[in-house]
Amino acid sequence: MEVYDIRPILAPTISLVCAGMVFLVGRNKHWRRFWMLSAAVLKLVVVMSMLPGSLRGIVYVFDMIDFTPGIGIGFRADALGMFFAVVSSTLWLFTTIYAIGYMKGEGQRVRFFGFFALCVSTTVGLAFAENLLTFFIFYEMLTICTYPLVIHDETPEAFRAGRKYLTYTLIGGACILVGAVMVFDATGTLSLSQPGILSTDISYNTLALIFALLIGGFSVKAAVMPLHGWLPSAMVAPTPVTALLHAVAVVKAGAFGILRTIYNVFGVDVLEDVGFTIPLAAIAGFTIIAASLVAIFQDNFKRRLAFSTISQLSYIVLGAALLTPFAATAAIVHIANQAFPKITMFFVAGAIQRKTGKTTVHELAGIGYRMPWTMGAFSVAAMSFIGMPLFAGFITKWYLSLGALESADYWVLIVMVVSSMLNAAYFLPIIYLAFFKAPPGTEMHVDEAPPTLLVPILICAAYVIILGTTAQVPGMPFSLAEAAVHFVFGL
Amino acid sequence: MYDWAHWLPLAILTPLLGAVLTPVVSLRSRHVAVWWSLGVMTVTSVAAAMLIIRVALEGPFSYLPGGWEPPYGIELRFDEFSASVSVIVLIGWLAVLYSLRYTEWLREVPKQRIPYYYSLLLLNLGGMIGFVVTGDLFNLFVFLEILSLSSYALVAFSGEHIAEMAAFKYLLMGAISSLLVLFSIAILFGLTGSLNMADVATRLSSAESVAPAALALGMLTVGFMVKAALFPVHIWLPDAHSIAPSPISAVLSGLVVKIGILGMIRIYQIYNTAGVIDMHWLNHVLVWLGAISIVMGAFFAIFQDDIKLMLAYSTISNIGYIVMGLGLSTNFSIIGGSVHVFNHALIKATLFFAAGCLIYRTGYRTLTDLRGVGHSMPLTSIAISIGAISIVGIPPTAGFLCKWYITLGAFEAEQPFFGFALIFGALFIFIYYIRMVNAFYFQAPTHPEILEVKEAPASMLFPTLFLAGLCLVMGILGRIPLAFIEPAAQRLLAPLGG
Repeated sequence: MEVYDIRPILAPTISLVCAGMVFLVGRNKHWRRFWMLSAAVLKLVVVMSMLPGSLRGIVYVFDMIDFTPGIGIGFRADALGMFFAVVSSTLWLFTTIYAIGYMKGEGQRVRFFGFFALCVSTTVGLAFAENLLTFFIFYEMLTICTYPLVIHDETPEAFRAGRKYLTYTLIGGACILVGAVMVFDATGTLSLSQPGILSTDISYNTLALIFALLIGGFSVKAAVMPLHGWLPSAMVAPTPVTALLHAVAVVKAGAFGILRTIYNVFGVDVLEDVGFTIPLAAIAGFTIIAASLVAIFQDNFKRRLAFSTISQLSYIVLGAALLTPFAATAAIVHIANQAFPKITMFFVAGAIQRKTGKTTVHELAGIGYRMPWTMGAFSVAAMSFIGMPLFAGFITKWYLSLGALESADYWVLIVMVVSSMLNAAYFLPIIYLAFFKAPPGTEMHVDEAPPTLLVPILICAAYVIILGTTAQVPGMPFSLAEAAVHFVFGL
Repeated sequence: MYDWAHWLPLAILTPLLGAVLTPVVSLRSRHVAVWWSLGVMTVTSVAAAMLIIRVALEGPFSYLPGGWEPPYGIELRFDEFSASVSVIVLIGWLAVLYSLRYTEWLREVPKQRIPYYYSLLLLNLGGMIGFVVTGDLFNLFVFLEILSLSSYALVAFSGEHIAEMAAFKYLLMGAISSLLVLFSIAILFGLTGSLNMADVATRLSSAESVAPAALALGMLTVGFMVKAALFPVHIWLPDAHSIAPSPISAVLSGLVVKIGILGMIRIYQIYNTAGVIDMHWLNHVLVWLGAISIVMGAFFAIFQDDIKLMLAYSTISNIGYIVMGLGLSTNFSIIGGSVHVFNHALIKATLFFAAGCLIYRTGYRTLTDLRGVGHSMPLTSIAISIGAISIVGIPPTAGFLCKWYITLGAFEAEQPFFGFALIFGALFIFIYYIRMVNAFYFQAPTHPEILEVKEAPASMLFPTLFLAGLCLVMGILGRIPLAFIEPAAQRLLAPLGG
């Protein structure tokens, strides 16, 4: 059931206004914090207020304008979009609190927080985009808004990373635009409200080119190998930004774009006929293993996490590419199940860096004595990635394996097992170093991160457990993912 | 009904008469000149608004001075392409206001010469308005000369030696192109015995020989290509546009080069209607030249440190977009090209106005020298950033529409290569704008005193910000220009059965 409602546009607009206020009155510390938190909280409230309706199967729609005939801006909060919006706006609140604590004493905070709040707006706009054009608009805005955050330190290394980031993402964006033009040329619409708008009447070559352009373009932000190069370089950015890049907004925008392309542009039936997803699944499987192997050899803490992100994101791509309902469920819930553990880990890395200045893994010996809560949260997140039952990551692996059995892709099971072992191989040494090695000095006293850093870490870690133990978490509904799958597969 | 059409000659005569009278009214005090010019432009704007309302309500209409019927008398014709007077009067008005402070600041210019500046500017604008509304080939040439001659003089206006050199180069190229246009018009007159465009078109279809008509078409195309600064006859543009005073750069880059494009459109209208020559090969040449212009302009712009030179090269790129759109000659691509005539004028004027503000306050004009200026001149820098985002074509800004439509047109014409060329060419353009944004905001200043400069004066800031605002909203309000352009594009293609 579709209901005409202003809230799908209200959510991005409120945060946009708050971001503008951060730029205007951001020189005053208190006003800046007020508008920052307003942006995050108001957006969360608006999104959450749609949740009860969404769970009952209501789709909120708001058509804004056709800025030219046939192409326009429209918003539509369907189950898939709601899921992404709920995850990203929940995480955003924590990231904002964390960022306020983390950035104390840094320069250029007006710019930093202004663009940070702008990203809030664009991400939720992305989630609620009704058509491919609206999606593209927010996708490009996200690229532009994150650039000043990546180069925040203004060092030559930061500029290099920023350049690399823009090169990758803008070329990806250009591919998406050409793909969108081709979709429009072939069908005369760009709507994302159907389970597929392309049909097999269109020539095979055109379909293949559209698929390559759209999936290739989105894969840049989703960091599917070999298009992942920008992600490890972007580590130079301040930690809240890397958390944002890696867990919440940027990479998820790419993954979400892939889901939209497969489910709403092509549709499952068309893709089953033409079989384009078979190579995509293979590439995703390769990325899962290869990125994990690279991660083992990274000594820089954040770089190791970055390669872990690359590996984890391809779970979403793999799940989507298998084209079975269970695998689709896994792909959608992994948006949350990857986000919460990964953001916990980045928060931990940032807290350690702020507290002790340590940035490499081998320096972490005994850190668990000094920061037990922080490292405890890290261990929870690591368990989730390894795929222990009762933690979030297990749910993904379970459904993904079920989905693979459904489509008789048995190699996926091997990928799952190997990936779990590799995850263990690069996360367990960190936990071992932190808790079982004596610290280099003599002092063993507890010296935790300040509460603005610690509280978001603990809440996110708690979410990891909640997501893994109950399927019906208030505010993180599994049933939304199910609803999305039902819609896409016509069940 | 009839009284509406009287606005048509008024729209041309007001700026031209105003131009002649400017030195006279400012005999007592040179400060009168700018307010006089503003008044003249305001009257012209009102006339233009009336005409646009009429064309929107009732479609194209003609005005016959003296009541002589077309083949013998002169015809002024206002169609949807003529609606581009809106952007001419808009940017013209703002450029006059902008010049209020800017001309006083030009050190090499004797103060008593300033009224002539306004006189030339009004002539230029009047020439452009005449060019877009005339229905007569010879008048087309006359107005082309009025606007070209005043452009040469305006480029040289700052009085510096380098400006004179640039203006001379512009004059040489421009004179050749004007001659080509004049000869072709003579050929067409010889073939058909008429100068009225519609009449020429009908008579050309029964012309005895095709070869002279083809020669005329080729010469007209080359002639207007020079005015539009398309590769390979673009070489006059970078110097002329970067050295002219900034408000003039905005007018030249935003409007005057588009006159070449509109000239091409007019000629195409004639030849498409006549249908005596197969235009396919010419279209194909234009598409390629457009593509080369896009890449070449962007490529050279990357290596410029001078901000205005960079903007000048970017104009060549954008002319490439427009010509590519025309050359693909499908419905969508012509819409895209035409809408960019309008949008690029807004965007490029924003950028040149903003660049002028920076130069006015800091005295520097290279990216290296201007580092850090974003902190001391935030509003100007925001305007220039909006312009940059817009010209790269990030949606939903004004520049996006052209990219969307021309790419769509390329797929429609089944030449997807050009769609790819355009979208990925735009990425090239992004490189140099990101350099600019980096320099303004993120790099340590080369000259520390740049952090102390004040924001530009209001008379310069207002035009800049107003146009920047338009760049932002014109993408979303794209339906307004499209309402004019769609019927015009259909009419252009109609004789081809498109």
